[in-house]
Amino acid sequence: MSTSQTPAVVMDNGTGYSKLGFAGNDAPSFVFPTAIATKAAAGGGAAGGRPAVAQKPSFLTGGAGPGGHLSAKRGTEDLDFFIGDEALNAVKGPGYGIDYPIRHGQIENWDHMERFWQSSIFKYLRVEPEDHYFLLTEPPLNPPESRESTAEIMFESFNCAGLYIAVQAVLALAASWTSSKVQDRSLTGTVIDSGDGVTHVIPVAEGYVIGSSIRSIPIAGRDITYFVQSLLRDRGEPDSSLKTAESIKEEFCYVCPDIVKEFSKYDREPDKFQKYVVDQGAGRRATVDVGYERFLAPEIFFNPEIYSSDFLTPLPEVVDGVIQSSPIDVRKGLYKNIVLSGGSTLYKDFGRRLQRDIRHIVDARIRLSEQRAGTNVRSSGLEVSVITHKRQRYGPWFGGSLLGQTPEFRSYCHTKQEYDEVGPSIVRRFALLGGPGGNA
Amino acid sequence: MLLLEYHSLLIHQILTERFNSPTPVTIDQVIPDFDGVIYHISTPDSKTKILISLSIKCYRDLLKYGAQDVLQREYGSFIVDPEPGYDFSLLLDLETLPEDKEQRDDLIRRVSLLKRNAMAAPFERAFDTHYHLSAESSKFTSESAPSSSDTEVMAIHYRDEEAIYIKPSHDRVTVIFSTVFRDETDRVFGKVFLQEFVDARRRAIQNAPQVLYRNDPPLEIRGLPGVNDTGAGDIGYVTFVLFPRHLKPERRDEVISHIQTFRDYFHYHIKAAKAYMHSRMRKRVSDFLKYLNRAKPENVDNVKERKTASGRSFKVQS
Repeated sequence: MSTSQTPAVVMDNGTGYSKLGFAGNDAPSFVFPTAIATKAAAGGGAAGGRPAVAQKPSFLTGGAGPGGHLSAKRGTEDLDFFIGDEALNAVKGPGYGIDYPIRHGQIENWDHMERFWQSSIFKYLRVEPEDHYFLLTEPPLNPPESRESTAEIMFESFNCAGLYIAVQAVLALAASWTSSKVQDRSLTGTVIDSGDGVTHVIPVAEGYVIGSSIRSIPIAGRDITYFVQSLLRDRGEPDSSLKTAESIKEEFCYVCPDIVKEFSKYDREPDKFQKYVVDQGAGRRATVDVGYERFLAPEIFFNPEIYSSDFLTPLPEVVDGVIQSSPIDVRKGLYKNIVLSGGSTLYKDFGRRLQRDIRHIVDARIRLSEQRAGTNVRSSGLEVSVITHKRQRYGPWFGGSLLGQTPEFRSYCHTKQEYDEVGPSIVRRFALLGGPGGNA
Repeated sequence: MLLLEYHSLLIHQILTERFNSPTPVTIDQVIPDFDGVIYHISTPDSKTKILISLSIKCYRDLLKYGAQDVLQREYGSFIVDPEPGYDFSLLLDLETLPEDKEQRDDLIRRVSLLKRNAMAAPFERAFDTHYHLSAESSKFTSESAPSSSDTEVMAIHYRDEEAIYIKPSHDRVTVIFSTVFRDETDRVFGKVFLQEFVDARRRAIQNAPQVLYRNDPPLEIRGLPGVNDTGAGDIGYVTFVLFPRHLKPERRDEVISHIQTFRDYFHYHIKAAKAYMHSRMRKRVSDFLKYLNRAKPENVDNVKERKTASGRSFKVQS
């Protein structure tokens, strides 16, 4: 079948959630947890024992039960699994164990990942992989061996027509092209990727990640939720479950320019305090007051000392440090294009506050060096700009969708024929998608 | 997951969400399905009017075999002029939906079966022809029954290189799939898989349809346009023979849905089998690695530290 008009499949498999969809769409078609529930024991899964020997369904053996050496190995046990939300439901019942095949952004259990993809493609996306090109994502500093294993699965198990593996941070940069603030579509910039588990600050120059300068911050969405929860507990609210804390975080939280002023503002304007009604099930309802946590929760990015005792560097300082540790000739571009990505960057005015704080740091440094240099030297200043855009939540996926629909996308992919010719090592290198070479 | 679903999960999901949410939003999504089918679900004019368009490769073939009637029967008043670039369009107005929850669910279900219903037309026609012929032939004695070769063979070219052929006759309906494997490994898997199909009937499920697999065109379709025996054996023909017990009116919808998904089912299982093989291979490799590690020589350093009862340590030279 000709693959000329079929849209490319874009799959962004993250530690927490997988985003699946088709290039050209403005939102992923499916977003569900990267989890798989199998009949095997929980935890190690197939890593521990031999993969469950498949039993033939009784109607195929003629009711005689498994007989013979070979027939014991034929069967359907390997198809008995669930992924995503269905997996979470399945483990509530007996017989299934759950496993998360991706840890810290990297695929740990290939058996489970292969089956996860199998189900994603055939059950959810409903496509014949032979007819479609695939765009997958990988975290920065993904080992090339891991890429090769991915390619082996995609080409040898699924025979997909073509494959491109892109770095999530680069795709997040591409996603920011939808913002009106971005004039030139460059692939240079600093990506702040804050998901549920960890926040990364990743400098990207001309589409290539500067690996040595990446910094991670152990503060992300989950920590904000815990912080909201602890505030609720301290006040003795009627409901302080994690779920309540999470919805309060998502619904009410915003970033304020100055905590002290914000506190006094709350004193003057009592309508800043809000109420959140929790449905506890079985007809019971509880009303939770929502107060200072509205602006205190996201504040832990900027003043980590209010939450954590061992990590004390505010996010703007980390970003500044990352850029300062990058090669000097790209720093200007990195300051000019700071792109947000991930669910924990969605708070109102998050970008504005970040931009202001980074600018303060930069201006202070410029002033200092002006003083040291003497009276006659004046700096022309440095532009700091944080890009906020509508596609932040699924930034990498959206960037993939954007690049995957361009007509030249296919020429950047490695096709099945090329793979058969060269072998898995072919995916160690990809031409830079949307880079200076292309005209995306 | 042993069988594939017949409906498009995504359309089902989107419509369920839209029907139950009070605030209409703009939708614009392209949703592919198996066999190069492409849906386009959008809200072109206002947020409450959802347009669902279907593009299917063999629409001309299907029209020839009465797809219009089947679609008219299933969707009736929802049908609108097809969107440019697509073959068939439905328009759902959120404001004039049926009030009843069950009717709504039924509507969602029907819309998400769009591809299935479009493809069902030739099968339905074949089944009808079969009923007609069998009614005719029951008038004759077995010797004078008319030969079954004069019925038309319906060809649906649903993929570039592959097609479904349907031939009704008075005592059966023959469905033939032509399949092409571009990968050597897949061909081997496919053969084993089909062997299992044939065996299943022999061993346990006597009332399953008869399945035949061969590399040259079966007699029924020999000489049709587009069917040529290349002799290279790269095209396989899978024949299903549906007997009257499969064609009972009450089972007919199920049978049609089932047989339509055959190709996707076939390819899905080949891929699942490969995935299973791979997991066994990985397991075997890690076992071998364990043996190798065990075979490493022990620590060759013979100088050991020992302790006396009083706690002082000394070194033993071997």
